[in-house]
Amino acid sequence: MGNPLRTAQDRRLPRIPEPCALVIFGVTGDLSRKKLIPAVYDLANRGLLPPGFVVVGFARADWGEGDFESLACDAAKKGARTPWREDVWQRLSSQFQFVPGSFDNDDDFDKLAETLDELRERNGIAGNTAFYFSIPPAAFPLVLNQLNRTGLADNSKTGGWRRVVVEKPFGNDLATAVALNQLVDDVFNPADVYRIDHYLGKETVQNILALRFANSLFEPVWNSKYVDSVQITMAEDVGIGTRAAFYDASGAARDVLQNHLLQLLALVGMEEPTSFDPQEVRAEKLKVLKAISLPADIAKGSVRGQYLPGWVAGERAVGYLEEKNIPPDSKTETYVAVRLGIQNRRWAGVPFYVRVGKRMPRRVTEIAILFKKAPHLPFDPADVEMLGNNQLVIRVQPDEGVVLKFGSKVPGTAMEVRDIAMDFQYGEAFTESSPEAYERLVLDVLIGDRTLFPDAAEVEQSWRVIDPLEAAWAGTTPEPYRAGEWGPRAADEMLAREGRAWRRA
Amino acid sequence: MIGLWDTTGNEVVKALAAERRSAGGVASGLALTLIAVVEEKKVREAEAAATIAAAAHPCRVLIVVRSDLDGRSRLDAEIVVGGRLGPAEAVVMRMYGRLALHAESVVIPLLAPDVPVVTWWHEEPPNSIANDFLGVVADRRITDSAQAADPVAALKQRAVDYAPGDTDLTWTRITLWRTLVAGAFDTTDARVVGAKIVAPEKDPTAWLMLGWLKSRLGIEPVLEHTERAPRMRSVELQCENGDCVRVTREEGTALFSRTGQEDRYMPLPKRPVGDELAEELRRLDADQIYADALGAMAGVSGLEHRSPMRVHVWKDPTLAARAASATDAMAG
Repeated sequence: MGNPLRTAQDRRLPRIPEPCALVIFGVTGDLSRKKLIPAVYDLANRGLLPPGFVVVGFARADWGEGDFESLACDAAKKGARTPWREDVWQRLSSQFQFVPGSFDNDDDFDKLAETLDELRERNGIAGNTAFYFSIPPAAFPLVLNQLNRTGLADNSKTGGWRRVVVEKPFGNDLATAVALNQLVDDVFNPADVYRIDHYLGKETVQNILALRFANSLFEPVWNSKYVDSVQITMAEDVGIGTRAAFYDASGAARDVLQNHLLQLLALVGMEEPTSFDPQEVRAEKLKVLKAISLPADIAKGSVRGQYLPGWVAGERAVGYLEEKNIPPDSKTETYVAVRLGIQNRRWAGVPFYVRVGKRMPRRVTEIAILFKKAPHLPFDPADVEMLGNNQLVIRVQPDEGVVLKFGSKVPGTAMEVRDIAMDFQYGEAFTESSPEAYERLVLDVLIGDRTLFPDAAEVEQSWRVIDPLEAAWAGTTPEPYRAGEWGPRAADEMLAREGRAWRRA
Repeated sequence: MIGLWDTTGNEVVKALAAERRSAGGVASGLALTLIAVVEEKKVREAEAAATIAAAAHPCRVLIVVRSDLDGRSRLDAEIVVGGRLGPAEAVVMRMYGRLALHAESVVIPLLAPDVPVVTWWHEEPPNSIANDFLGVVADRRITDSAQAADPVAALKQRAVDYAPGDTDLTWTRITLWRTLVAGAFDTTDARVVGAKIVAPEKDPTAWLMLGWLKSRLGIEPVLEHTERAPRMRSVELQCENGDCVRVTREEGTALFSRTGQEDRYMPLPKRPVGDELAEELRRLDADQIYADALGAMAGVSGLEHRSPMRVHVWKDPTLAARAASATDAMAG
């Protein structure tokens, strides 16, 4: 029997998870402090958490109970998007527990299990627990084995559901990704594994689906007959920050191309799912990922770059090789541009130019659909000199919105056509108060909605795209580009060879 | 900002277009036009609320103040694009004399083309929306019974006057309550057999809560009056198996108690009118659940079968006033 007070028509009532516990491994880490704890506070503040919601933090640090509380409080205050309300925090933090311990100590995990049982007893939570792995992948086997040993991951023991949340990197190549997936699937049910790609939690990314499948205007031209090419850009103005060790071992392609950008590509390229059931959406995304083709000559169809010292946004920036803890002879890329294709009837022959980079002039992520030029222009060639491709641009961040670029007559007595941009922006305040990606995703985990989480097959398929690229790049030196530039010149030349140019994002 | 004194509707249209041009970059989409019907002393309040709501729903705000019906016909207008009212573009119009009875003649040319129109009365709700052309022209109508002298009677009148697309902010005010109460039954199959609502006598939200529980659960909730709380104090549900679920408001929080479990506190803040308005603007279709609750509370059935279109019924308040005083004179 369903809840008689809830009906599908009553869309004012928000979705609220069943009473449950959230266990965060690595709770003192960067991600947890910057994103996770603030997201939990925001959810509580919006009244979206169930009564009796419990958070258990587990980490290696030698923190006392009080230290942890002040750390969590500072983190929530700093990262929260909703106004600070002391009473909400007080009530939430009274349901916070910190269990110090190390991942290889059996006693510590027994203590965790005890604490959890106690809390669940007190709050009437029927076993429902989500485990958030905010830890390096190297620690996964240890923690998973501990969960297995203590029966924490076992549904049959206490009933309710068990879910596990895994952050990127999902492996370092196909082999490690498969091993990791197997490891997690061994302990948990594959359907209970939630892989976070926070890009999918963004409002605009979800809007891609609305734009494509709720309108009749765009779908007819969404194919190789009308689309000349697609450019997907993710530019960051920052450098590598404090992630030197991780970044130097992986590079831009493994760091973001494998996950965020291929997911964006999948959403833009996929066919219409039969319904918005998670299974159906994933099936369509997977089909596109499987159809991705690499350039015939990877050396010609891709460009790797590495930033030199320069100036970004009025400040001096050091080069990649001068960054702290980066070996001076590092050949890791901080910029990648690659020409991909999708081999199916809809997209045959349409290049998908994908580029990511650090220390670019500004922070922007966007997807630009460039349409073919009109087959015939009944104008004097001089009059349409300034007319480019029609474009539909989906801006993911910042200034979430959609831009449509098309030709229009310049007012005056002569016929002169040039491009204008029609800009739709979600109100600025709207984007600010709209939930942060993590907030949405944490809520989805607790509710059990898997739509916005890529599954193991998608992750593995994405590695099948990246692995050959990495293999071809092995031993090569990335092209240098000055910090504050739109990447190496070779990337411009790559498009120029095909008579195209990068859109200035 | 442009101020126009003793002006005409056409001048206002022109001034708005000029302001939009000079503000630059206003090609961003308008999702709707919001007409706010306000009395003079509440204009600032309505502006503040519209600013919050416009942040979530880009819209054109038309604030209409009608007063001094016996005076000379006159229109004053103030046009704000960007700036004080946030991302919204707004026109504040003050109408006097006979013009006030024909406010639509100024307002209709100002509606943004082909986007929904929402009319919001930030004053005592009209007895019959059909008498106010500003309500007839709207796709969605938002009233606020709490602003009436007798809020409960005003809410019941909303049921009598209902057409799909109407809502009352009383309903918006109990969304958080309803969320808490509904959440209690997500994990249990217990059948609810009775309910008790404790609230001040004049609190319309309690009546709507009663209507909602009645329509959804088929029970007859009991309303208990208290003078000790300014607003709805608690909702208590008795289950068939003897369990009891109670939500009690305690200054911005709710105490959630359930038989056999520890008491828990949940946030239950009082939201500003702007947030409530933003919630209303999120949905522009008819709210079926509200209609059910309103009907159950007022004892009127078949609300959902009414036509969503109203036909304007001309009613001249001066004639009505004269007629009333004539009757008084005759009686006296």
